[in-house]
Amino acid sequence: MSALEVARAALNAAGEEAEAIAHSERSGLARFAESEVHQPTLIENVVVTLRVVRGNRTGVATTNKVERDGLAELAQRAAAAADSAPADDSFPGLAPGADPPQVDGYDERTAALGPDDQARLAAAAIDAAGDMPVYGFFTSAVSELAVASSTGLTVEQRMTDATALVVAAAEGCSGYAEHTAWRADDIDPAAVARESAEKAARTKGAGETEPGTYRAVLEPYAFADLLDYFSHDSLGALGLLEERSYLSGRLGERIADEKITIADDPLDPQGLPKAFDFEGTPKQRVLLLDQGVARGVVWDRTTAARARNGASTTGHAGPLESRDWGPLPYSLSVAPGEAESVDELAELVGDGIYITRLHYLGVIDPREGIVTGMTRDGTFRIRDGKIAEPLVNLRFTVSVPDLLREVYGLTRNAALVNSQNFYGERYPYGVLTPALAAARFTITGVGSKPGI
Amino acid sequence: MRDLCAAAVDAATGAGAEYADARVVMKRDQLIATKNGRVDRMTDAESEGIGVRVLVNGAWGFACDRRLTADGARNAAIRACTFARAAAGKHSRALAPVEIRTARHESSVERDPFAVTLREKVDLCLRADAALQGPDVIVRQTMVRARREHKLMLSSEGTEVEQILTESGAGIDCSATRDGVFQVRSYPSAHIGSSCQSGWEYVDGLRLVEEAPRVAQEAAALVRADPCPSGVTTVVLDGDQVALQVHESVGHPTELDRVYGTEASYAGTSFLKPADLGSLRYGSEHMNITADPTTPGGLGSFAFDDEGVPAESTRVVEAGRLTGFLTSRETAARLGAGHGGSMRADGWNRMPLVRMTNLHIEPGEGTLDDLLADVDDGIYMETNRSWSIDDKRLNFQFGTQVAWEIKAGKRGRMLRDATYTGITPEFWGSLDAVAGRDSWQLYGLTNCGKGQPGQSAHVSHGAAPARFRNVQVGVKT
Repeated sequence: MSALEVARAALNAAGEEAEAIAHSERSGLARFAESEVHQPTLIENVVVTLRVVRGNRTGVATTNKVERDGLAELAQRAAAAADSAPADDSFPGLAPGADPPQVDGYDERTAALGPDDQARLAAAAIDAAGDMPVYGFFTSAVSELAVASSTGLTVEQRMTDATALVVAAAEGCSGYAEHTAWRADDIDPAAVARESAEKAARTKGAGETEPGTYRAVLEPYAFADLLDYFSHDSLGALGLLEERSYLSGRLGERIADEKITIADDPLDPQGLPKAFDFEGTPKQRVLLLDQGVARGVVWDRTTAARARNGASTTGHAGPLESRDWGPLPYSLSVAPGEAESVDELAELVGDGIYITRLHYLGVIDPREGIVTGMTRDGTFRIRDGKIAEPLVNLRFTVSVPDLLREVYGLTRNAALVNSQNFYGERYPYGVLTPALAAARFTITGVGSKPGI
Repeated sequence: MRDLCAAAVDAATGAGAEYADARVVMKRDQLIATKNGRVDRMTDAESEGIGVRVLVNGAWGFACDRRLTADGARNAAIRACTFARAAAGKHSRALAPVEIRTARHESSVERDPFAVTLREKVDLCLRADAALQGPDVIVRQTMVRARREHKLMLSSEGTEVEQILTESGAGIDCSATRDGVFQVRSYPSAHIGSSCQSGWEYVDGLRLVEEAPRVAQEAAALVRADPCPSGVTTVVLDGDQVALQVHESVGHPTELDRVYGTEASYAGTSFLKPADLGSLRYGSEHMNITADPTTPGGLGSFAFDDEGVPAESTRVVEAGRLTGFLTSRETAARLGAGHGGSMRADGWNRMPLVRMTNLHIEPGEGTLDDLLADVDDGIYMETNRSWSIDDKRLNFQFGTQVAWEIKAGKRGRMLRDATYTGITPEFWGSLDAVAGRDSWQLYGLTNCGKGQPGQSAHVSHGAAPARFRNVQVGVKT
């Protein structure tokens, strides 16, 4: 059964005012370490979530038992939950019927990849790294999302995604590279491995540097990670309503360098396109920061109703397991700049540090956008406008808006950086961003050498 | 369940697997959460399926099928073998021997959490939610949850283990703001409350409604508190933060798969080497760490792990010296020590990984007040707020929701935005006291991530307040 057929069957099983969201996944992930595949995982699943509405009481239940008996049981559990729920005056009702935009994001050849192909593409990465041990994976998947409701809403989207990720590492050295796309043919696992291995070789002999505030170049991997963490509190409506967001009280103000324009652009074929959200609402491009000025956040129906200020959904309701965060920008897109390369960004920086990737970020103060974490797999000193000697992993503690307040430049080309870690049901999303050169990146500690 | 597992294992061995195991898992998760007097989430999720793991020519393969049918089981087995055959590498994976057992185990439950009505759960949440109201409090949240996992594991070696594990959990928190300062306060723990392998009696015992006014008062006090100063000083951590410290800086680095690098592409590796076993000085003589999947109520408790290895207690650090790793059968065989026992999978559609079970710091002596009494000038920190640690688990920075200065052995003024940072062995080397058994309790975490595809594990840590000397605190931009 397709996801839409599952959603319709669940809706029929409910037989009353209800919404059904079906989400299916067929994926393969060939994970490797020490240049051997060690965790090869094939997943096939379909999950349906039914929300039954009785007046302004709602009840939700989920199952992957999508045959007749399982769906009947699902309807009973959702109805029982609705009966036990108190009335909610702010319930906005189910989304009306919609005609979502036509988007890219599905590729037959990617959908057709099987375990032999996934293993072969992982092997291509392993082989290309030569003598350098590699750790990473190749994965591809086809997933389907469908929403059907008693309002007449019926939407469905098939998505494909693929990622090749390689950490090349040995004693005292490590590098990182990743390609993500909705077309597997756009990914070259061997090139990913070569980029990672080349980076690793340059990190041998890493030294320390003093904590302090440095000028910095952030590769897209690093910048995407920072933005992703920042977005959870600051670029969604729930954070704004709950005054966790850095944008609270600052909408309309300049909070970043005028070179910084950030949107959530789910319609962009360079990203991982989405036609509608998990409430069935058509996706919209939302301008978040426009030439440094805070313009808005993303909304879903629930937060828009609770805001009571005329806000309307922008189509950013997320998967059920992420609903604690409220609506989130799953398609962050940073406007590119003029620099031809990261080397040109290093010239703009003159003296500073170069950061490939970050590790284990933690939000210290959401209201101020302060995030800590470590650099990893390719940190270098920049001297005289050139990427110079390697550095050990460094602890940083930065306010993201402070980082963006003075920007020297961004690269002309943007990279799509995978943001999903494949927990729960597969929902491909990522950040499309160029590399960034900025005036302030604060190092607060010195860590270990790169590598295994 | 047994027949399905047998069909899968037979299909796998018939397709050339030298080893196979199959797990049927049926899981139900229920969550009720309120926010500002409204039911924010009320979910009831069921998931079932079969996962089949095979070794073919020394290479692993894993596949799964949501259908609990013989066809689904066999299909998963064949696909797992296909993936294993295609896997790149030289492959000579071996498994430590395991005693073949047939067994059944069930959590001890006094009050079945799924027999507690939704109305009672909602009512508890809303009463606690109302009790969180207070000055400057802008967001009030409550949560109760329950899980039941029924699983049967069968291997080609003959192991057959059926287990039914039940969890209950709850928590409350509130956020307060004033003059641009944003603060959070939680009970009984941060991050989605705390859980226990138990019936609803655990939730009843938390007394959420009674605790809520204190939580709200502390949140309001926090937005008026001074920021924690920077400096090197004595730090006393409450049990909740000690639990997280153990989790991040002892639990993860002692996972032997990380030591061998197999998490390098995601969660990271470890500063430990296999040869460190028995010799590495991890911390002071006050540091005793035990991995114990037999702990009553622990989220990591079981009779057998997901490889069918019987549960047993293992001393990981003894008087500050590294004495054990968390292992799988494969990593134990590679190390030439131990026999596994820490393999756990997040449901039927994920491959088992080396995970923490219940990892405890053993209690010392005295009370929190006794720890404070021996501090002239320091900081007492309570309840985790932020956490970050490097890929080798050496350089960490943690923050807590609340702190108090310690002056002449007594708690002084409240402080906000407290953080501390350190290097793992140096930090544990500065441990000079752990409070006693009466102050020791289990903290249950439900958000431990690892693996690709990602897996979330539920683990518990027994911990008591502990004191550390010469710690860097108050790191800010």
